[in-house]
Amino acid sequence: MIHALLLLTLVATQDTTAGKQIYTKWCAGCHGDNGAGDGPAAKHMIPPPRDFTGAVYQIRSTPSSQLPTDADLLRSIDEGLFGTAMPGWKSRLSDRQRRDVLAYIKTFSTFFADTTQRPQPIKFGNAPGGGSGAEALKVGRQFYDSIGCRKCHGDLGRGDGPSAPTLKDDAQHPIFAANLHENWRFNGGGTVEDIYRRLRTGLDGTPMPSFGDLIENKFLTDEQLWRVAQYVRSLSPKDAPVVRDVVHAPLTKSLPHAPDDSTWTAVAVYWFPLVGQIIHKARWFSPAVTGVWVKAVHTADSIALRVVWDDRSQSPDTSWLAHVGRVFATLQSDDSTPEQPAPWPDQLIVQFPVSIPTGMERPYFLMGSSGAPVYQWRWSSIARTAPVAGLARGIDRFEPLSSGGPAAQAVYDHGQWRVVFTRALASTDTASQLPFRTGRAIPVAFFASDGSNGEHGSRMAVSTWYFLALDEPVPARVFISPVLAMVLTLGLGMLVVWRAQQKTSYRRQQ
Amino acid sequence: MRTYLRHPFWQAAGLLVLAYLVIAFVIPLLPGSAMVPSSVVLQYMATVLVGILIWVSDEEARWTQFKEPLHEVLVQPRLKMVRNGLLAAVTLVVGCLTYSQVRASVAAPPNLRSIHPAPPPQITFRGKTITLVGLDNPLRRSGDMAAHLAVGRRVYYQNCVPCHGDHLDGQGHFAAGLNPLPANFQDNGTIAQLTESFVFWRVAKGGPGLPREGTPWNSAMPAWEDFLTEDEIWSVVLFLYDQTGWKPRTWEVSAEAAK
Repeated sequence: MIHALLLLTLVATQDTTAGKQIYTKWCAGCHGDNGAGDGPAAKHMIPPPRDFTGAVYQIRSTPSSQLPTDADLLRSIDEGLFGTAMPGWKSRLSDRQRRDVLAYIKTFSTFFADTTQRPQPIKFGNAPGGGSGAEALKVGRQFYDSIGCRKCHGDLGRGDGPSAPTLKDDAQHPIFAANLHENWRFNGGGTVEDIYRRLRTGLDGTPMPSFGDLIENKFLTDEQLWRVAQYVRSLSPKDAPVVRDVVHAPLTKSLPHAPDDSTWTAVAVYWFPLVGQIIHKARWFSPAVTGVWVKAVHTADSIALRVVWDDRSQSPDTSWLAHVGRVFATLQSDDSTPEQPAPWPDQLIVQFPVSIPTGMERPYFLMGSSGAPVYQWRWSSIARTAPVAGLARGIDRFEPLSSGGPAAQAVYDHGQWRVVFTRALASTDTASQLPFRTGRAIPVAFFASDGSNGEHGSRMAVSTWYFLALDEPVPARVFISPVLAMVLTLGLGMLVVWRAQQKTSYRRQQ
Repeated sequence: MRTYLRHPFWQAAGLLVLAYLVIAFVIPLLPGSAMVPSSVVLQYMATVLVGILIWVSDEEARWTQFKEPLHEVLVQPRLKMVRNGLLAAVTLVVGCLTYSQVRASVAAPPNLRSIHPAPPPQITFRGKTITLVGLDNPLRRSGDMAAHLAVGRRVYYQNCVPCHGDHLDGQGHFAAGLNPLPANFQDNGTIAQLTESFVFWRVAKGGPGLPREGTPWNSAMPAWEDFLTEDEIWSVVLFLYDQTGWKPRTWEVSAEAAK
């Protein structure tokens, strides 16, 4: 109630002249001077910036194809749209400025001019309890299938459904079905409540429909729709992954060569985000691979590195060619002649220095340089068991090495690649093939391309340097000093107690 | 409860807890502050502890009263459980701390990086020699400022936004994948501290153009001379200052030059 009152007073004091100033300064670079979503940055991002002139908004609390409320718009301004280039402005602009800009954004469309029609939010209930229980998730999964989520989002929710390659928004821009395993990238937020609201209202302007009418038609109950939201939420980890710098590879008895070997389940996993390669021509502003999950183990003589990443397509796949065409049409290219879509493969590159550095100096993270090359394992979906080892001297110079490279096994499973690289720790060619040593921080970086998103050559997703450490078993001598410290502490403590008690009894005797 | 509140020992204990809560949880909430690092928390807590000890030992009666509960725990037969419990707990904590110190774990090597390394006196920009020392933004003296800013704005939004962000605070949508993080131009420690010729050098030569102390192997900053013209770079430098409101540092006019 207080919120509603506050909002009313806020709306009453909105000022479109002040709003225009803020808009021109901070928003027009992407959304354009006239709000048509055509600012100078627009051709460097997918999804492109919102076109305010149509007043079609994804994130609403109102029924499908209706205008959003002011509170809905303010939320998008405040929090931003996760997984996109739109940041949250709550900490960047004052309350007043955000309200003013909201009032100004509404002037771009005549739909907001008719103030007799105030958009009414849907009354959302509360999530039914037991949402994380097996029974609730089973119901959620059942309706996930029956209301057609899997058509776009895929059987396991990685955005790899049969319709995924055909998806486009109302302006014909390419659009991905959300990968439901990355709730921190859901545009409107990743909580069960957020997901339920998107299910009820739909994402207007996109292929994501509203399922509110299914409740009205008694196809499913409100509770069952909540169960779908709870099921979708259960696909993502409890918290968004946090980057830890060093991949620890424990010592194991046998080397797991297969991606789904049971040895891997007990090994800690590390997440590394990837971003577009926008350093060298041709730059790539819209990478499809958002990050890699990495595990590693080693034996006395060999290492196994497992890299897992979500990819909607098992490339090369000609059914995605139309999507690639839409991507190329949406993005501005560094090339003077527009590129033609082709069925490129998926690729993954694991990069190390040629030798473990002793100081902090390393080769250039983006594939080395002519003077300081890097050692790489290049894996491609068209030669799954035959990764190529070689030296890179810059992004466009790669020299394959004839022997001594890693072996690989790969699995593509419902929108996810799982690749295991194995190699001997020692190397016969120490000048170019990194010898792995235990107990050292070995720099490592990852690069990935999704061929079905038009990625090939320098068009890829990249990471900066992280580290790989082959852990040594804890030697027994490590336990000596803690035990010694404990004995000393206990002895000292007992001495203090004994002295105090002696003194007291001595005093009493006197 | 009352007696506890009046007792110097419990007052001291309460103060310690309160100080910890303020340092660890209240300070980060203040506008413009961040999480207090654990080493600094330790320093603050040591200072607070010394202060409290001075206060309790300041008066003979208070000192005696303060020591009472400590002494009780050491000697009272009815507190035997507490005594043994404390001994065991302290011993265990010492053991764990020692273990965590001696256990060898491979960590990322320290990243000693000079954020604003000394610029070279001159650079070669697409074959043309540009002397950086004493150089001001030539666009401030020629042409229409509004037009320069419009160019700078276009250049910024077409090239810089993914990393440096649309608020120029280094929080673009690619920033989380980079280390070191993109420069935050809103912060008073970046362009506000620099001359425009320094910023020109950083934009033109990017990460690969850094001297060794700037860790050029890590920086994702492109060398923009491969993409932009000299005027475009000067325009985007103008835009950075105009949009954030910072003034560039200027060259000291030497007595001779002024003559």
